[in-house]
Amino acid sequence: MITALMIAIIVLADAAADVFLTKGMRQIGEVTSFAPRELLTVALRALSNHHVLASMLFMTLHLTGFLIVLSWADLSFVFPATAMVYVVGTLGAKFILGETISAHRWAGTMLVCLGVGLVAIP
Amino acid sequence: MRTWSERTEIIALLGIAIVSQAIGNVLLSQGMKSISEVSPIIWSDWIAVLLRIVDTPSIPFGVGFLIIFFVLFATTLSRADLSFVLPAISSEVVVNVACANYFLQETVSATRWLGVVLISVGVVLVVRSSPRTFGIERGPVVAWEEVDR
Repeated sequence: MITALMIAIIVLADAAADVFLTKGMRQIGEVTSFAPRELLTVALRALSNHHVLASMLFMTLHLTGFLIVLSWADLSFVFPATAMVYVVGTLGAKFILGETISAHRWAGTMLVCLGVGLVAIP
Repeated sequence: MRTWSERTEIIALLGIAIVSQAIGNVLLSQGMKSISEVSPIIWSDWIAVLLRIVDTPSIPFGVGFLIIFFVLFATTLSRADLSFVLPAISSEVVVNVACANYFLQETVSATRWLGVVLISVGVVLVVRSSPRTFGIERGPVVAWEEVDR
């Protein structure tokens, strides 16, 4: 039960982190090169972007929950169980970020979720 | 709509990100297991737990690989849909199963292989769709020296 609750927290935190990060990165601008100067500019803009900072908070919650649950449960169980993030994240992308999810993309996302679930069966 | 070369670049970045995440997760798992094997983890004494985590080399290395993953992930999110990047990243599960089979000689059940096939088909479906459907809020990042000119 506690493992299920932890996994729910991990999934919600992960999806929230992804949505906030995407929002923040789009405000910062497209990253088109890995030149140190550009990366530094991006990093400085990211550190002053509220969406990126909120994303980091949720990411910390996600990683902390992940580490705690890994101390008693197997990675081969925990990691596939967090697969729901693909559906939760895609819903966030549609309703919060306003992305257009084509039928092909929904089908692909569902197959991915189902596939990850199957991999999880020992 | 992105051009073919931009799509290829985004997929290449996601590929490197996937490998980094797979390595990072395996190292983290090994590290946390080795800690709890030595003696049970008492979370109320979190300072001692933190010291043990920092003292286990595979955990900082694992975190390092996850940082590489994060930079690549954030980079692709500035240029492509979250609903494109998120399912594409799931290829990591395929990489994990393949590694377990080839490098660790673990037996992979038929159910797991079926899961791997479904994930692969799903990723192909997602990757074939247009990587970007959102409106551009801001164009490419311009570094300081270019602004000064």
